Amino acid sequence: MIDLLTGLVTDYTLRTVALGSAALGLVSGALGAFAVLRRQSLLGDAVSHAALPGIVLAYMLTGARTPLVLVLGAALAGWAASLVVMLVTRTTRIKIDTALGLVLSTFFGLGLVLLSIVQRSSGAGQAGLDRFLFGQAAALVGDDLVTMTVLGALVLVALMLLWKEFKLLSFDPAFAGAMGLPVRLLDIGLTTLLVIAIVIGLQTVGVVLMSAMIVAPAAAARQWTDHLGRLVALSGFFGAVSGLTGAILSSLVPHLPTGPTIILVVTAVTILSLFLAPRRGLLAARVRKFRQRRQLQAERVLTDLYRLAAQHPEPAEAPHAVPVLRTMTSPSGVRRCLARLSDMGLAVPDPDGRWRLTPAGVDRARDILGGDA
Amino acid sequence: MSEPAVRITDLTVAYGDRPVLWDIDLDVPAGHLMAIMGPNGAGKTTLIKAVLGLVAPAAGRVEIHGDVYAKQRHLVGYVPQRGSVDWDFPTTVLDVVMMGRYGALGWFKRPGRTERDQAMTALEKVGMTEFAGRQISALSGGQQQRVFLARALVQDAQVYFMDEPFQGVDVRTEKAIVELLKDLRDRGRTVVVVHHDLQTVRDYFDWITLLNVRRIASGPVSEVFTPENLGLTYGGRVEFLAEQDDSTDTVEPHFNPDGHGRGRP
Amino acid sequence: MSPAQVEILAIAVVTAAGCALVGTFLMLRRLAMLSDAISHAILPGIVVAFFLTGDLASPWLIIAAALTGLLTVVLVEMLTRTRRLKEDAAMGLVFPALFSLGIVLITRYAGHVHLDVDAVLLGELAFAPFDRLVVGGTDLGPRHLWLMGTITLLNAGLVTVFFKELKLATFDAGLAASLGLAPALIHYGLMALVSVTAVGAFDAVGLVLVVALMIGPAAAAYLLTDRLHILLLLAVGLGALSAALGFGAAIALDASIAGCMAVAVGVVFMGVFLVAPGRGLVAEMRRRRRQKWEFARIMLTIHLVQHEGQPEEDEESRMEHLHGGHVGWTPEFTARVVAESLDRKLVTAHGDRLRLTPEGRTLAGQALSGTLT
Repeated sequence: MIDLLTGLVTDYTLRTVALGSAALGLVSGALGAFAVLRRQSLLGDAVSHAALPGIVLAYMLTGARTPLVLVLGAALAGWAASLVVMLVTRTTRIKIDTALGLVLSTFFGLGLVLLSIVQRSSGAGQAGLDRFLFGQAAALVGDDLVTMTVLGALVLVALMLLWKEFKLLSFDPAFAGAMGLPVRLLDIGLTTLLVIAIVIGLQTVGVVLMSAMIVAPAAAARQWTDHLGRLVALSGFFGAVSGLTGAILSSLVPHLPTGPTIILVVTAVTILSLFLAPRRGLLAARVRKFRQRRQLQAERVLTDLYRLAAQHPEPAEAPHAVPVLRTMTSPSGVRRCLARLSDMGLAVPDPDGRWRLTPAGVDRARDILGGDA
Repeated sequence: MSEPAVRITDLTVAYGDRPVLWDIDLDVPAGHLMAIMGPNGAGKTTLIKAVLGLVAPAAGRVEIHGDVYAKQRHLVGYVPQRGSVDWDFPTTVLDVVMMGRYGALGWFKRPGRTERDQAMTALEKVGMTEFAGRQISALSGGQQQRVFLARALVQDAQVYFMDEPFQGVDVRTEKAIVELLKDLRDRGRTVVVVHHDLQTVRDYFDWITLLNVRRIASGPVSEVFTPENLGLTYGGRVEFLAEQDDSTDTVEPHFNPDGHGRGRP
Repeated sequence: MSPAQVEILAIAVVTAAGCALVGTFLMLRRLAMLSDAISHAILPGIVVAFFLTGDLASPWLIIAAALTGLLTVVLVEMLTRTRRLKEDAAMGLVFPALFSLGIVLITRYAGHVHLDVDAVLLGELAFAPFDRLVVGGTDLGPRHLWLMGTITLLNAGLVTVFFKELKLATFDAGLAASLGLAPALIHYGLMALVSVTAVGAFDAVGLVLVVALMIGPAAAAYLLTDRLHILLLLAVGLGALSAALGFGAAIALDASIAGCMAVAVGVVFMGVFLVAPGRGLVAEMRRRRRQKWEFARIMLTIHLVQHEGQPEEDEESRMEHLHGGHVGWTPEFTARVVAESLDRKLVTAHGDRLRLTPEGRTLAGQALSGTLT
């Protein structure tokens, strides 16, 4: 472990990889929060796949593998894809899911075709492009890192500057429009930021899996907070941590490709969040329901005792036996409920085993029955 | 005030090739609480959206207190339909109300102390101050409606537009909202409400516009809210029973070919 | 074409047909992206089955894939039902995770064997003729042809037999349920078919093309017809066409066959999108333009009718009023509308004022009462 930590600081590759993955996770997590809220999860998938031909074309046209060029190509292709989706859905009766699937597969197919053409012409160059399919963090170099960080920072700054506008846009676009906000422009703007966030991460995670880096951190973060600011920050945090962990794991363990590893880590984070988050988590909800049910059962026994006792002149004094209680509304778990009532000071057992209400129990039963006692 | 709060001339809106509003001429005098009513698909929501610039009209013009909407935004408050929003969105009641001040804040600035105070005042008016920090997903229908209303109130407008504010809301909330609206009216503001309940028109509103793709009639409730006009709007025969308003709701309205049914100008 | 090429084409066409049959229903049920999700997610199922049987041609692979496909759908639905995630986010979470699992299994444990990542994406159509089905010493042809042929026949058979049920369940699930047709059964049956088709096609043409073939031709056909059985036939036809065109391009460009076919799907779609009579872009633009003028003429008649007999009629029926303040038309627009209306005898001109003819009045009446056809 110590070796790892020192390695992170001293080893150039490890440091670059770690920082790059963290940066990617941070940006995609943050933008992903908005994408998920705006139901754009699948758009992220389509844009990632559609970026491939852009990357390869950029390389073919410029002969350069500089990250900025490739990122630009990816962004333009992703942008073109969203435009095509919009065009098709606006002018025909084809629904958005069909348009997304169509664009995703045909653009991606084009990318693969271009890739196979490049494969034959210049052997050495294309090897670098292959990694855009499933990602290869280990191949990150300083240049890549600089591009990623600068672009990522720009995206985050834009997000901060237009925070309240994006918030209103995502929550209530009609109200935003009535207020005079340029809704169309803001929509395109936010989607563009998403495209850039996706494109930054493609080298590390690959086109096929990038969509999960948009969705999973946001889905995980949503379970822990109800506050938009904290949601975005937490989503970025989860993304960064998953990116870092995945990248380090894949560099330590042989034959473990980076992209899939990061995805598995972030999915694990999401599943854990779904279950373990307090309040919203599934486990917490189950426990709550369980407790509520127990409480209800106890209250039923309490009111049963009350009703039985009400037939006597001194209600609080009249004890009743457990078997009798079992014949009333809750036949099972009576002893357990009585024990709970005893803990709450609402009922006490007599030496002969029969149970009676305490004065507090009488009051409580009256409350529950609401005045028709 | 000599100019009407809202003046709509020759407004026509269509979705694709389907006309939703035809050649609407409408003057809403200031200081009234007006209902817009008509059957489903009559264009009521579309009218509001066209006034607010959310939908591009095929023809026509809208003026708020004498000038185009684009220049008069600061005079207008809007309460959209409750169902138009995902209430699972991670935000609090106070946050939503503060959104009403975003227009005034302008670009890039964050809401601060002033906006918070304004929002709390608005929440006070709708009786929701204890809910300020509450998640909107935890609200009931009536509470959600109050929050939307507070968001409009915080805009401190001259003219308010509300789309079905009483839909799916409990009786207590409905009464509270009506009181608020009447108070706004009494202080000289103009309130335009898309309404759906014929029973309550006489008690709530003093002005009414009946709409069914075109303007059937518009004017004071006492003059315009008549069986004939309702019949023209909703189709079929309409009768008022004793103290209550009632009507038969049939499917297709029809145009009376012998007259033009425009009602009072 | 050489015999090997003929066989490849045959496999491709059969695959296109099989995919189009199930893809049409996916599209109609707004589940197009499930084709993407399922094709990705079946990977771990195939890999595990491969590990267990050691045989790439084992029928267990198909069964495992079908099961994993169903598992995917079930997982997505379970996640959605917890209401902690929306449906699109659930999808974007489940299939990348499963796919990553598959990739990790392959690269770590099967990297040296037949399965490899490129094959996953692109299939190995080029090698398909070499993989033959030999029964009792007789060479029956490429294994893939038999496999995909069987699956396609199965799809065709099931679609024919259950045509009425599928139609009803797709367009009116409520009615189907009340008729005892169990839409849920049909839903999961369809999902199983999609998975089986995906795995059958997967091996030959890879992931990308499976999605393209399922969605693209169906979408194109959707622009050409309203009738379900014609839709299915057209989808199959367009799919076969795309396969043939793509194959030709692949040979000419010496590029990936599957990639070229995916691009061909896109090209065929674009072609239909542009020139489809009725729903194509060109037809749509023409129709919109024509409607704009029709609409304007109707507006003119209504405008005149509304003000007839009113004090302001004099003012409102002036031609200048139309483009002056209120109606908002430009002078050129107004001139043309007026000219066309005069032409069609909807109005008559009296100096600079317009008056309605009986036909014009009728038109206005029809439009206002909604009886205009």
